[in-house]
Amino acid sequence: MNDRDRSSAQVQKSQISHPLGEALVRDDVLICVGAGGVGKTTIAATIALRAAEQGKRSLVCTIDPARRLADSLGLSELGNTEARISGERLAEAGLNPDAQLYAMMLDTKRTWDEFIERYAPADKREQILASRFYQSLSSSLAGSQEYIAMEKLWQLHSQRRYQLLVLDTPPTAHALDFLDAPNRVLDFLDNDAARWLLRPALVAGRWGLQLFSFGGNYVAKTLAKLTGADTLRELAEFMLAISGMNESFRERAAQVRELLAAERTAFVLVTTPRLEGIDEVVHFHRVLQQNHMAIAALVVNRVHPAPLDSDWSDAAREPKPLRAKLEATLSERQMAAERDADAISRIGSLCEPTRLIQVPALPSDIHDLASLWRMSGFLFGEERLGASEW
Amino acid sequence: MARLLDKRLLIITGKGGTGKSAVSAATALVSAREGKRTLVCEVNGNDRVTQLLGVPAAGSELSELAPNLWAVNVRPEEAMREYALMVLRLESIYKAVFENRFVRYFLRFIPSLNELVMLGKVLYHLQQKLPNGSDQFDIIVMDAPATGHAISFLSVPRVLADTVPPGAMLKEAQRMRALLEDEAITAAILVSLPEEMPTNETIELCGQLRQRQIHPQAVVLNSFTAPRFDEQELASLRDKPRLLAVAREHRRLSDLSVQSREKLERDLGLPLVAVSKLFVRRFAREAVEKIASQLEPDLKAAR
Repeated sequence: MNDRDRSSAQVQKSQISHPLGEALVRDDVLICVGAGGVGKTTIAATIALRAAEQGKRSLVCTIDPARRLADSLGLSELGNTEARISGERLAEAGLNPDAQLYAMMLDTKRTWDEFIERYAPADKREQILASRFYQSLSSSLAGSQEYIAMEKLWQLHSQRRYQLLVLDTPPTAHALDFLDAPNRVLDFLDNDAARWLLRPALVAGRWGLQLFSFGGNYVAKTLAKLTGADTLRELAEFMLAISGMNESFRERAAQVRELLAAERTAFVLVTTPRLEGIDEVVHFHRVLQQNHMAIAALVVNRVHPAPLDSDWSDAAREPKPLRAKLEATLSERQMAAERDADAISRIGSLCEPTRLIQVPALPSDIHDLASLWRMSGFLFGEERLGASEW
Repeated sequence: MARLLDKRLLIITGKGGTGKSAVSAATALVSAREGKRTLVCEVNGNDRVTQLLGVPAAGSELSELAPNLWAVNVRPEEAMREYALMVLRLESIYKAVFENRFVRYFLRFIPSLNELVMLGKVLYHLQQKLPNGSDQFDIIVMDAPATGHAISFLSVPRVLADTVPPGAMLKEAQRMRALLEDEAITAAILVSLPEEMPTNETIELCGQLRQRQIHPQAVVLNSFTAPRFDEQELASLRDKPRLLAVAREHRRLSDLSVQSREKLERDLGLPLVAVSKLFVRRFAREAVEKIASQLEPDLKAAR
């Protein structure tokens, strides 16, 4: 039996009870969520690689991946297009998946522009794209990156080119931004507000005059003292320009919502075992539950394994100066392991009944396919923390 | 040259997860203990600073934590209200305007308004006076947003000063810009980590701040691992794979730490403080005290 056969045999066995193994068989959309800097991108890429290895044509869609991970996935300049990971690249890492693996780097700004180009009325496109309110909508409005990531996910899903889509999400400060994104964007397009603001000018037929006036609208006039009248007028004009797209947005928001709640869509929560980060992951977990979203697993990444008793006795046999250095290092590791264990047991009890998967802090950056594959052993339960290796 | 603690505003900034809040808390402790009336401001944060200091969350009202030490968490909603009241003067006008459904709606979408009012509130505290005419706070330590946001946050006065039409917003923006760009008043302190990416991002951040006339005056390299194992020791462990792995991993971290320190010193030309990696069961007050004792000499050094 060669290595590959052995590893797929292990996979077959572990799928029976392993939460991510089950998800890999059952689902066609997996969405990795969590705070920034916890290793979401790496986990997402590992899941897609594993799925391809199991014969599912997979795409990992990432946002702002680390340079070297992007390089190793072949995502150099190809923003916003799907690129196949070549067989050679995979073979170099000792892999030969049954199915094809694709990756793309999501360019949120470009996806927004494409969306406007597709759905905005032709005569309004330029005006919309040039507006500084559009810049604000497409880049800094809370939830807008999430919204457009969902939009891209929906597009990819409806094309049905892949058997599994793994989405890596933007680091969200607040969990709600993510699920609420379509509503927030729809809010933005609430035309009542624009009409309210512009009504006096429209009624008086003064639209287009150089001097913009809010007529008898006392509230608007007072607001203009703070923001400047030009700002308000620009905003109102932008909203009128974009109003033709309202239906497209509304329809799409409903479709996205449907996809998120679909039977074959699940979320993978990712966190690190820091006590300070617990509130965030617990909150996120609760929000997903309240919204009836399926949670495939909670991955605790970068866990420090504790030293074994034999490490201490081995260290004690070394000559004195080296022994002291080794013992100092082992106690630091022990402390880190205990701190992690505290956090993990709290996360576990606060996020019941979701199952936790622990992935160790691997002793180097994960930035190539071979180390992604190594990580997948922990992610899918064939390897356990603190066994033979660190 | 003046010491860092003699500035009026210290902006603590860096990539998310570098330990900005801990450095802010530690800096504020050192300053308050020196007898300076110190205000530590979180910007739309999660009350992380007060949590680290082991005191109740500050909220949006000034709260006194210890002798000479106050904290506030600046949030957009309250900052907006305070700003509006300052411009409009009357509570009744404020209510009529700001409780209007459409106005609440518009305010969310006006670019940079949230940042402007939050920064405005921090700078308002900087200029607050006591009844005897002296400054209410000698120094403000601001736990600024993470890298990307910090740039847009701190650029707001500059951008607005160039783009908005004359009015209350413009005047406010010009006044804020003058304070932020005066290096006698304001110093940015960059917080970094001894890893390749965070180090490079710190160098980028420094360049971006300088371009915007905001002056970085020190860099804190957090989580530093000092060298411990030499080559000979590593070689002597070659038959003990687990111990060798322990020593190698330590060596990898210390190599990264040393490289990162060299690179930051060379590329930034700023005084650098290395704060050693802490091994504590709970990252709280005890850890902040340890960081404070490592920062203290540099905060107090004449420059």
